Amino acid sequence: MAEVTLKNITRSFGPDVALDDVSMTVPDGSFVVLLGPTGAGKTTTLRMVSGLDVPDSGEIYIGDTPMNGLTPAQRNVAMVFQQYSLYPHMTVRENLEFPLKSPLLNTPPDQIQRKVGEVAEVLQISHKLDNKATALSGGEMQRVSIGRALVRNPAVYLMDEPLSSLDAKLRSDLRIELKGIQADSGATLLYVTHDQIEAMTMATHVGVLDHGRLVQFGTPREIYEDPVSVYAASRLGQPRINIVPADLFGTAPSGAASMGLRPEQIRQGAGQESLVTRVEHLGDQTRLHLFFREHDLITVTDPHTALKSGDIVQIEPHQPFYFNADGARIA
Amino acid sequence: MVTSTLERAAEATPPGAARRIKGLSDRAIAWIFVAPSIFLLLAVNIFPLIWTINLSFTNFKANRNREVEYIGLRNYERILTDADTWATMQATAHFLFWTIAVQVLIGFTLAYLINKKFKGNDMWTTIIVLPMMLSPAVVGNFWTFLYQPQIGLFNYVVAFFTGADASSFSMIGEVALAPWAIVIVDTWMWTPFVMLICLAGLRSIPESIYEAAECDRASKWRQFWTITIPMVLPFLMLAVLFRGIENFKMFDLVVQLTGGGPGNTTTLTSIDLKREAFEKWRTGYASAYAVILFVTVFGLASIYVKALNKVKER
Repeated sequence: MAEVTLKNITRSFGPDVALDDVSMTVPDGSFVVLLGPTGAGKTTTLRMVSGLDVPDSGEIYIGDTPMNGLTPAQRNVAMVFQQYSLYPHMTVRENLEFPLKSPLLNTPPDQIQRKVGEVAEVLQISHKLDNKATALSGGEMQRVSIGRALVRNPAVYLMDEPLSSLDAKLRSDLRIELKGIQADSGATLLYVTHDQIEAMTMATHVGVLDHGRLVQFGTPREIYEDPVSVYAASRLGQPRINIVPADLFGTAPSGAASMGLRPEQIRQGAGQESLVTRVEHLGDQTRLHLFFREHDLITVTDPHTALKSGDIVQIEPHQPFYFNADGARIA
Repeated sequence: MVTSTLERAAEATPPGAARRIKGLSDRAIAWIFVAPSIFLLLAVNIFPLIWTINLSFTNFKANRNREVEYIGLRNYERILTDADTWATMQATAHFLFWTIAVQVLIGFTLAYLINKKFKGNDMWTTIIVLPMMLSPAVVGNFWTFLYQPQIGLFNYVVAFFTGADASSFSMIGEVALAPWAIVIVDTWMWTPFVMLICLAGLRSIPESIYEAAECDRASKWRQFWTITIPMVLPFLMLAVLFRGIENFKMFDLVVQLTGGGPGNTTTLTSIDLKREAFEKWRTGYASAYAVILFVTVFGLASIYVKALNKVKER
C-alpha cells in the first residue's frame, strides 16, 4: 500500500475542463472519498490515478514513484468500474481469478482458490461462483466487480460508485464490509460517490470536487463543521443546509451575502416566530419544515414532538456560517 | 365529457379483431394470417423436396416421354460408387476448406486492423467491401482477363515479384493451378463479408472490458486471447457457417471463370449436378444426387449450429 499524490493535475476534453489544477494527497492507509455531482471530475480523477487516462499537465505519484507514462498494469492499481465491466464470457470464478492469473503476479493455484473463496464469502456470492457473469442480477455483478479488485493486493484501490446499483440493505452491509476490509488491511482506497452517507460513514478524508476543481479536502467532520463555501456545505448533511439571505434574522457581518444554517444551527424555543408547514416523522428523527419571512427552512426536532403543521415555533440562528456573494465562507 | 381512466383506455384500444370479423375465432384469424406463408413454403420448398425424393428412386428423364420405373436405391448406389462424383466432392471440399480458412484469417485480421481508431477507417471499410457488391458472374468474367497469361494483370504481378515468365503459367488452364484460381477469386470477393461480421463482433466488445483487463494487469497479448478471441468467436463461427453454406452452393462464379475445367478439376458438386440434371437430363439420377447433397449440408450445418449455440452459451 502506498500514498497517492496528485500535483496540479489538469485535463480537458475538447472545450470541457474536466480537472482544473487538482492537487491532493491520499495518505497511506486512508479511505478517501471524492464527492461531487455528475460532471465534477470524480471519475476522471480515478482514471488519472489508474493510468487509463493521462493528464494534460501535472504529476501523479504512487509512493515516491512518478507515474507519468506508466500503464495501469505497471501502476498496480485495482479498479472497480461503475458499469461493472465483468468479462461476460467467463464464470464468476473465472472473473475473480483473472487478475490473480496475471503473469506479473504468478500466484500459485491453491492460493488463487483460497483467495477467491474468501472474497466470495465476504461478498456473499459463494453460491454463484460457477454462474456465468451475465447470468447475475445487477447487485451481484457489482459485487463480483468489487471482488475482482479485492482478490488483489494493489498499491491502491480505486472504486467508482461501487455501491450505486445495490439495494439499500446490501448497500449498508457492504459499506460496513468495505470499511472493515480497508481498516483491517490498511489499504489505501480512493472512492468516488455522490452519496453523502457513504462519504460520512466510510471516509477518513473527503475531497469535494466542483467543476473539476478540488474545493475542499479534509475529514468528513471538518467539511461538515467548517465548510469553505456554500457548495462544500451543501455536499454533506441530511437534511441539507439551509441557505438564506444573510440578514434574514437581523444584522449580518459586512460582506456577507448569505447565511448557512444546518439543522443544529437553528435554535428552537427562543427568538422570532415561524410557521410550521410540515412535520415528517422519520422514526429516529423528526423533520420540521418551517416558513419564515418568505423562506422555507428545514430543521430537525425531538422525535416525539407534539408539533403539527400550522403551529408557531420561535427560532434563532446559532453560530451560523456566513458566505459572501461568490459563495465563499467569510465567517 | 368526464371519463375515468379505465373508460379512456377502453376507448383508445381497438375492439378485438374477432369481434369485428364476425363469426371467426381468434384461432381462425391467426390461421388466416399465417396461411399465405405456409402455402408459399409448401409450394416452393416442401413439395419440391418431397417430389425430388420421390424422383430419386426412379429412372425418370425430363426430356423423354417414357414410362417411369421405380428402381429403388440404384441411383444412390451409382452415385456413391462413381469415381468422378467423388472427384467433384473432393474438389468441393478443397474449395470449401481453403476459401473458409483463408477468408477467416484475412477477414479477421482486416477487421482487427480496421477496428483500430485511425483517420479514414470508414473510407477503407467502404473500399474493402466493394468486391462483395459486384455480381459473381461479372467477377468471374473479369478475373478471366486478370488470369490471362499474356495480358493478365495477375500473371504480370506474379511475374514482377517472382521473376518467372508471365506467360509461362495459366491459372485457369492448368490442372494444378485451377483449384487455386477459384479459391483466390472467391477469397477476393468474399473476405470483406467475413471482415464485416468480425468487425461487428469486435465492435460489440465494450471498451470498458479492456480497461478492466488493463487494470487487472493483463498484457495486450493476454487480452487478445482471453477477451477478444472468445468474445468474437460466435461471430467468427457464424461467418464460417454463412460462407460454408454459400460456397457449398457455389456455381455462377466458377462457371464463368473456369466452366469446371480444365478437365473436371474445378467441377464443384453444384456444377456437376446441373450437368446431370439439365445437360444429360438424367432427372432421377440428379434428384438422388441433390438429396445426397441436401442431407450432407443439412447434417453438417445442424452439427455446426449446435456447436455455435454451445459457444454462445458459454
